[in-house]
Amino acid sequence: MNLFLHIRLRRQLLALAGALLCVPALSALGQGGGTTEPLSRKAMPIPVGADWPYYGGDGTAQRFSPLSQITPANVRQLERAFVYHTGDLPPGGSAGKYAAETTPLKIGDSLVMCTAMNRLISIDAATGAERWRFDPEVPREAIPYGATCRGVAAYTDPERAEGKPCKVRVIEATLDARLIALDLSTGEPCTEFGNGGQVDLWEGIGDKVPGFYAVTAAPTVVGGVVVTGAQVKDGQAEDAPSGVIRGFDAVTGALVWAWDLAAPEEMRSGPPEGKTYTRGTPNMWTTATADEARGIVYLPLGNSAVDYYGSNRSEAENAYATSLVALDAATGEELWHFQTVRHDLWDYDLGSQPTLLDYKGEPAILLSSKQGDLFILNRETGAPLTPVGELTDLPQGDIEPEYVADSQPVSLWATLRKPPLTEKRMWGMTPIDQLYCRIRFRQMVYDGYLTPPSTRNYIQYPGYYGGNDWGSVAVDTSRGLLIANYNDIPNLTRLVPRAEADAEGMRPVGSPEGRAGRGQPQVGAPYGVTTNAGWRSGLTELPCTQPPYGGITAIDLATGDTVWDTPLGTALRNGPFGLPSRLPLKIGTPNNGGAVLTGSGLIFIGAAVDNLFRAIDIETGETLWTDALPAGGQANPISYEVDGRQYVLIAATGHHAMETGVSDAIIAYRLPD
Amino acid sequence: MLLAGGLWLIFLGGSWYYALAGLGLILTGTLLNRGSMMALWLYLLVWTGTLGWAWWESGSDWWAQLPRMLSPTVILLLMLACIPTLSRNGRRPS
Repeated sequence: MNLFLHIRLRRQLLALAGALLCVPALSALGQGGGTTEPLSRKAMPIPVGADWPYYGGDGTAQRFSPLSQITPANVRQLERAFVYHTGDLPPGGSAGKYAAETTPLKIGDSLVMCTAMNRLISIDAATGAERWRFDPEVPREAIPYGATCRGVAAYTDPERAEGKPCKVRVIEATLDARLIALDLSTGEPCTEFGNGGQVDLWEGIGDKVPGFYAVTAAPTVVGGVVVTGAQVKDGQAEDAPSGVIRGFDAVTGALVWAWDLAAPEEMRSGPPEGKTYTRGTPNMWTTATADEARGIVYLPLGNSAVDYYGSNRSEAENAYATSLVALDAATGEELWHFQTVRHDLWDYDLGSQPTLLDYKGEPAILLSSKQGDLFILNRETGAPLTPVGELTDLPQGDIEPEYVADSQPVSLWATLRKPPLTEKRMWGMTPIDQLYCRIRFRQMVYDGYLTPPSTRNYIQYPGYYGGNDWGSVAVDTSRGLLIANYNDIPNLTRLVPRAEADAEGMRPVGSPEGRAGRGQPQVGAPYGVTTNAGWRSGLTELPCTQPPYGGITAIDLATGDTVWDTPLGTALRNGPFGLPSRLPLKIGTPNNGGAVLTGSGLIFIGAAVDNLFRAIDIETGETLWTDALPAGGQANPISYEVDGRQYVLIAATGHHAMETGVSDAIIAYRLPD
Repeated sequence: MLLAGGLWLIFLGGSWYYALAGLGLILTGTLLNRGSMMALWLYLLVWTGTLGWAWWESGSDWWAQLPRMLSPTVILLLMLACIPTLSRNGRRPS
């Protein structure tokens, strides 16, 4: 009775608070004018412009803002409007495993965002003043590869009266695998969602091993269904949590459907009593894109749990791994899928969020990949709209030649992949270390980008950072340009026979002895694997290959031709023996995180490891303005408007693996008064 | 070191430059120890050869030229600084 009373009182208070606080947000939501379908559960589409209502800008995920107050002519005057500190820093001041990679949403006059450890925060979009915060108290052992929360989703319940609590809700998925729904205006939990505002994603997954199953991407809401996958820690064991994709009711949190690629019918309403979703299947660690009007959700899938050995994979895994899968968002039934790598042995999982666009009169979806290939498909059928060729007579290697695919699809339209490595692209400070890398190059197994794994050191180029990764590509349909930043770095990889892996103590996450050794154990496969990402020279810690290590390019959407292509990032913070060179020279660094485009023809991007945030002219590729960030800008920036003034914002929170420091600063820029 | 590594690289099917440059450096060093002006002329030959080879391999990509040209050029400057010593030696009757 007491409890009941308490809840009722709480609800009334919430309603009151909602009525007071929701008003500005809702009036902004009304701008979309899409409230004419009262019977459907379709969210009211909010246009991108003054607002940034979706992770990718609007539902098309073009990462394009039509705003044009900041122009190539005045961008040099840009100054900081505010720096907001989230307070979410790793204890002890060490960079630890932090890589927040956060992209806030801007709705009404608020920004709403998640932090590395999934704290949800709303701030005033013009001043950075904090409005509310919610700490889901994610335990530190839940951190998988890194503490990351790329974004959140917002959902407007069309059946709820204006001003009611949770009319507009923000939905986050956490590292410890929970879905959380809060009222956008107050930050109070939407109590009718799941259990007191939360849904446990471990349900049906199996044994709870913290860090093995974690969500780092923004969920996608389509037709009132919240769609999420999860990151399953790579290369631990074949017996890993399932890659199941699930849809939950955005209002109640109830499971609407589950799509288990190995048992889609059996698992549609969840696993039968005593069973789990099929283990070890390819997962979706990145963000899906939804076509709200067509009721389709597009899932960029990763690889099976063990990346570098395939003979034990099931037929279903082989059919769906590293594929874009289109599902009916209402039922979870598959409509089509398109595989970018057959029998993937390179961890060329689909990390980018695909982009919707109209292409030559057809509804299309643009897909970028880690091997660099760019594909445009018909959104309804999955049929390629740009030419796709077949590479044949591929190297088979000596580990599992019968498993290695002897042909692979390749985009004949456009790719971010550079020509194969040659000895003369080996690098160093002097002829001595350059010679060392040239000798090493000649000793490696290398037969192009589809070189199969080997127990000898072999080169994978491009490495698993891509090509294009979770930063995805941005599209300016008015100029007919696609903007993609990419990495241009090889990995040095080696399969480690099981006996050697055991002797080295390579053990999976959650094993009783604890994790030890380097590399990934790949338990269940006859080999573990070690990777020297970026192939650093053992002599100087410099990469063995010459710069650039990353770039940004503009591609003509009509033809697939490169309009410009330029290195991204300066040598400021990098040098031999890990010392910063302080050279403000453009070199082209590894980069992680994407761009935002504006209607005025500007590209804003951090991403590079020089910790600069920069504005680039979309027509020429010329850098027009930079600002030094307190830590790496490995996050997708956004642009929005408050009171007639355009802002550009980036989370300058750094990235542990990119060695760009750690910070809790969210920085917004605007033109001076 | 350059000669040994360079021979190894040739054995692996790679560039002949390093072994040749290594040989040139060893000879230059020997001549330098004898105080012979020939050291400078030989090193000029090595440096010019390096320049030609580096341009042939990488052209105007300045980052790619860093390992190829920086330290050979530093050595060249040091050699040029040695000219007074070498020419004094040359004038001395042997």
